[in-house]
Amino acid sequence: MSLLRIENGSFAYKSGPQILKDINIDVEPGEILAVLGPNGAGKTTLLRCMMDMLHWQRGRSLLDGEDIRSIPASRLWRRMAYVPQARSAAVSYTAFQTVLLGRSSRIGAFSAPSAEDMKIAEQVMERLGISHLADKPCYAISGGELQMVLIARAMAAEPEILVLDEPESNLDFKNQLIVLDAMTALAAEGVACIFNTHYPAHALQRAGKALMLSKDGKSIFGDTTAVVTEENIRHAFGVKALIGEVETPQSIMKNVVAVGITGESGPDTEADGDRTILASVTVIMRSNERANLINNAFREYNHLLIGRMGLPHRRSDKYIISVMLEGPVSDIDALSHRLSLIPDISVKTTYE
Amino acid sequence: MSLRRDGRLGAAWIVVLIVLPFAAAIIALGIGRMSIAPGEVLDVLRAALAGKHASSELIEKTVMQLRLPRIILAALVGAGLSVSGCAFQSLFANPLATPDTLGVASGAAFGAALGILLGFNLIGIQLLGLFMGGAAVALTWLAGSGRDRGGLSYIVLSGIMIGSLFSALISFIKFVADAESQLPAITYWLMGGLDKANYRTLSLGAPVIIAGVVLFMLIRWRMNLLPLSDDEAKASGVNIRLLRGVTVVAATAITASCVSMCGQVGWVGLLIPHMCRMLFGNNHLSIVPASVSFGAVFMIIVDTMARSISAAEIPVSILTAMIGAPFFIALMRRSGGWRI
Repeated sequence: MSLLRIENGSFAYKSGPQILKDINIDVEPGEILAVLGPNGAGKTTLLRCMMDMLHWQRGRSLLDGEDIRSIPASRLWRRMAYVPQARSAAVSYTAFQTVLLGRSSRIGAFSAPSAEDMKIAEQVMERLGISHLADKPCYAISGGELQMVLIARAMAAEPEILVLDEPESNLDFKNQLIVLDAMTALAAEGVACIFNTHYPAHALQRAGKALMLSKDGKSIFGDTTAVVTEENIRHAFGVKALIGEVETPQSIMKNVVAVGITGESGPDTEADGDRTILASVTVIMRSNERANLINNAFREYNHLLIGRMGLPHRRSDKYIISVMLEGPVSDIDALSHRLSLIPDISVKTTYE
Repeated sequence: MSLRRDGRLGAAWIVVLIVLPFAAAIIALGIGRMSIAPGEVLDVLRAALAGKHASSELIEKTVMQLRLPRIILAALVGAGLSVSGCAFQSLFANPLATPDTLGVASGAAFGAALGILLGFNLIGIQLLGLFMGGAAVALTWLAGSGRDRGGLSYIVLSGIMIGSLFSALISFIKFVADAESQLPAITYWLMGGLDKANYRTLSLGAPVIIAGVVLFMLIRWRMNLLPLSDDEAKASGVNIRLLRGVTVVAATAITASCVSMCGQVGWVGLLIPHMCRMLFGNNHLSIVPASVSFGAVFMIIVDTMARSISAAEIPVSILTAMIGAPFFIALMRRSGGWRI
């Protein structure tokens, strides 16, 4: 049973076309799901329907197998938290008071926040590195800082699922990274994150799963590498895009470059995914913290493994893992992508 | 007396907010055509509490029968209008929202004017004011709801419409009223005044105001959720419809009670909450109690001036506007604008 699931979700605004048709998604703890699509394809509508702020016309959202509409609000919003776009948020309180509002579902109608609520709010701000903002009013901080404050407010509810509406829009390069890194770190601790984004590259770099919406109501859901492809981008956005790789000393990052607008979808290029090849993956861990996530990934793709070597470097408390793989290109791609999503490690895959 | 991070008031402020209204009341009890020293005022009050008579019957009558009910009324009206102004501002996330936003004040004023026209006694006038204030909110609600997308600004707009409708009805009543006796009474009452105060009027209006103020004091932390956008408010996990409904009903009842007892007293519901916001920030943990206390003090001072500056009583709303407008402009310029 998945943590969060949408079954056949469909929605249309009154006197409007069907914008969401038979959406099916599954999200597990610690996963990041990116929702992609052109303007007007219904990304925000999808999030609002998923959280029951709008009602599905057909289909339903399930939290641990239970229909979200039948879960009382106070219980639902202890498990799920919502981060609105920074520009649509109320900004009258200090950052600390805003974060404290995230505790609302746990504070009685006639009570004020307890010492414990305050401590949790302080810890969350500490963890996201925004303690220095605590006493500043939210209208006096930058857009990136406000976005972090809103994430902190959501985290103060101690949720299992975090829903973010275009968290990195309207932010500069550095602030985008700060917000995305925060999300990646939370996912590594087991929080499921669902975010809307305009950037296919962010989906490839951060999300294990992706949902791509088109204007005609069609949607594709699956592993990010299978969903965010040049072909699907051309179909959904009407844009010819190239997916490439940028190599840094630590890892290889996928990137998407839009090269032109296309009217129609071009001929399908034959996928080469079934060809069996050899590959080797090298992982360097800077601490033991992420060992579990790495082992899980290898366990899942056990059938590819033909050799494995782990080498602790005692003096610096670092760890090097080298794995030899044999199998279909698409599987090796998927494993290598999966590893690249884990924070604080360096990963590189060398293909035959 | 610096601000605390959790939004609560510091101990020093709590003492100030409790002591100030009582101090203002005791001083105001001594001011008037017959000047009484604060010590004597305290003697009279002590005697009254003990159920005994004070040494001077004249002083006792002036303090207990003439001035005390009026000062209690001033304190209640000031506290009530301030706290409901604060609630309306937060509810509509609109710094210009006042108890008039929903048309409540106009509705209640129309009811009271109608009562004077029909020759009702004071109790009848109050009841009709309460009823029409409630009717105005109901009309505003009917006109403004049923459209999901407009949200709260829709309610504010329809409140302005309903308010002007009731203003027109008041003009109509003035038009048909007897120019010799009723018209001056209605006009004078509309200007606002606390001179009609006695224990009987108080016993009808005070419980509503006190209940409303106590309710807002109890839910004041949760009121912090009021200015949030719809989706944010829902995502707080709190029943936001109930919270908004309770806020509207309580603020409306307070406003209607105030208006029916002393006419339309403007400015208090706008001025005092903003003063508190500038002093304490926007956290309702502190601005609700501060609004209650400062509102009471402000009205006690203004009403004392209204009855003692000249031989003839000056309508209180003239004074609130004359004091309020420049004071407000000065505050606003100093703190660089207002925010909710």
